[in-house]
Amino acid sequence: MKTKRWLAASASLAAGALLLSGCSGTGAADDGSTEMTLWHNSTTGAGKQFWVDAAAAFEKDHDGVTIKIQALQNEDLDGKLQTALNSGNAPDIFLQRGGGKMAAMVEAGQLMDLTDEVSDSATSEISKETFEAETFDDKIWAMPMAVLPGGMFYSQDLFDDAGITENPETIDDLVGAVEKLKDSGVAPIALGAKDAWPAAHWFYFFSLRECSSDTMATAADDMDFSDGCWLKAAQDLEDFASNEPFNGGFLTTSAQQGAGSSAGLVANHKAAMELMGAWDPGVIGSLTPDEKPLADLAWFPFPEISGGNGEPGSMMGGVDGYSCSATAPPECVEFLNYLATADVQENYYKAFNAPPVNTEAQKAVTEPYLKQIIEAYNEAPFVSQWLDTVYGLNVGNALNVAVVDLLAGNGTPEGIIDAVTAAAKKG
Amino acid sequence: MTIRTHSPSQRRVNAIDESTGAGTIVPAPARRRSKGQSWRTRLEIIVLVGPALVMFLSFVIFPVAMAAYYGFFRWKGYGAPTDFVGLQNYLTIFQDSAFLEALSHNGIIVVLSLVLQGPAAILLALLLNRRMRGQSLIRVLIFIPYVISEVVVGTGWGLMLQSAGALNGFLEKIGLGALAQDWLSDPAIAMWTLMLIITWKYIGFAVIIFLAGLQGIPEELTEAAQIDGASFWQIQRRITLPLLGPTLRIWAFLSIIGSLQLFDLVYIVWGQYIASTAGTSTMATYMVASGRNSGNYGFGNAVAVVMFVISLVIALLYQRFVMRRDTEGAITESEK
Repeated sequence: MKTKRWLAASASLAAGALLLSGCSGTGAADDGSTEMTLWHNSTTGAGKQFWVDAAAAFEKDHDGVTIKIQALQNEDLDGKLQTALNSGNAPDIFLQRGGGKMAAMVEAGQLMDLTDEVSDSATSEISKETFEAETFDDKIWAMPMAVLPGGMFYSQDLFDDAGITENPETIDDLVGAVEKLKDSGVAPIALGAKDAWPAAHWFYFFSLRECSSDTMATAADDMDFSDGCWLKAAQDLEDFASNEPFNGGFLTTSAQQGAGSSAGLVANHKAAMELMGAWDPGVIGSLTPDEKPLADLAWFPFPEISGGNGEPGSMMGGVDGYSCSATAPPECVEFLNYLATADVQENYYKAFNAPPVNTEAQKAVTEPYLKQIIEAYNEAPFVSQWLDTVYGLNVGNALNVAVVDLLAGNGTPEGIIDAVTAAAKKG
Repeated sequence: MTIRTHSPSQRRVNAIDESTGAGTIVPAPARRRSKGQSWRTRLEIIVLVGPALVMFLSFVIFPVAMAAYYGFFRWKGYGAPTDFVGLQNYLTIFQDSAFLEALSHNGIIVVLSLVLQGPAAILLALLLNRRMRGQSLIRVLIFIPYVISEVVVGTGWGLMLQSAGALNGFLEKIGLGALAQDWLSDPAIAMWTLMLIITWKYIGFAVIIFLAGLQGIPEELTEAAQIDGASFWQIQRRITLPLLGPTLRIWAFLSIIGSLQLFDLVYIVWGQYIASTAGTSTMATYMVASGRNSGNYGFGNAVAVVMFVISLVIALLYQRFVMRRDTEGAITESEK
């Protein structure tokens, strides 16, 4: 018996090494107990603690259920998750960012369909638009946790020092503010172009202002960028960049790592503002000298332009959610419904300093900038996901790199359209 | 100058000469093997070679074969690959200007590595091979960068060379602010910046290899030349460098293969996205950018295979034409 087990163990080890396959170690056991694994990306502080607390509270109400938590570094998460999903040893519950990647997981049959499993309270307290971000083929594949729309985060003190009394409402206003900030001796806008996506945000938002919501939705489906508004958006960006609004050496500045990153420049009052998603207050807070939220942090929406087809007030932003793998036990759905309840959502907001999706929990938000973001999001006539998420890795990555090329002076507005069109053909 | 007629080294040479005389190699008598013995020999081979062979097959040959297989698919990396596209990925690679650019960067890095590191390392090795004060300390200092991990080196240089980094700050402080540059993102400078980092990092390895090679050159040759009145430079040019040949060729081989596969320094200093913008992309960074970052895993595998084949062909050609003399022991043969 012992020999057999030893043989079986070594055989499965060998198979695991060779084929990266193995059997799932979780699920229902014979004695009725259930163990589930959870993968998230908060490796430090309050965010990490939030998951520990949420899992403990859930286990208390569900006899025999244990949740094994694994916190993965954000940049490592996607790769590890992909390997785990393919090996048939996927975590039961994991962070889901939606868009093209989620579609690929659905098509490979790796996600659990949540359409008929979402609780009534979640359906009534979380907006339909938010659920749409986690929908593919008319089915819901993840429970939304936080809305993270983008806009301009800025230091009120630096704006005051530069004599800027009103938030820029148009791009012309923004250019004026940039000049005033330059005169005051700080970098007007921090940009972490080394990571590409922060630079691409600028193109996304110009597209949101230039293109109608119909055009944007169509492009997401058929990857057709022939409408003139896309080129116009690229030209807008080129014109805006010609004012040299970004910090010196922005091409080799990273977005979120250390005091020299774009978020670090804002956190240390070296740069006045940054175009970023609503996770930025938390990132900036972790990079201030005392690692506390930046006291004078404020927010305004991306400025409007004249003559564009985008409806004024349109927003762009992602929705972070959580999915169950196709093989997860039924308790997984219960846990997701639990995460969506107002109390847990309120804890989530407090831990992450980010807007929760639950409209009841949103009432607990006190920071003015978060209140503004939630208000702008709830009133927006149209909300698009981040374009690189919508287009999936292939086209999204080509788009991001092409925008960096343009800002580096190596590319043209036409080059952006050509790059995405060429990538779309590849995929 | 004192001339020693019976130095210990001379005696050693005589002994070697005697041992290589004709007829000294006696073929071993054929042993009669019993069945038990041959079984034992086989078992020994299996036990000793087996584990290494299994590891080699599992972690080298199997992944290479799988990469070649995946390269025939359009595959997003989720689930098993199903969309067979034949040679399409391979054709796309060679039609992609970004790959050809990366390939040319690899070529530039190969040539510049040889041209910059080789002479500098030889010079350093020749100097360090002489007795001098602080010799060991200098050797250690030159070798240290090679020991430090690429991640640390890349992060350090990357931070120093940023526009707002230490180097430009230093230049401004000493009144040379006009020399401050965009060291990393200006395509006109970036390749030279990369070569500076590569040279700094790897020259210690070349120096150590050359020093080892120099140790193998018999002193008596130099002594004889000195007696004949050869100058220091004549000795280096006519004796030391030719005898250092095998070491030089091995180093050049390692340098070429390393340059063809260069990834980590570029990836860390320039990040995942801007290497091609800055003109420092390599085949390996192209592989990650167009494979993993773009979610085109089938395509990325095809790039890996192309890289493998290019490296293999160059390695085989090099061994066939450049290292042939070394592998066949041509130096001793030509003396006959």
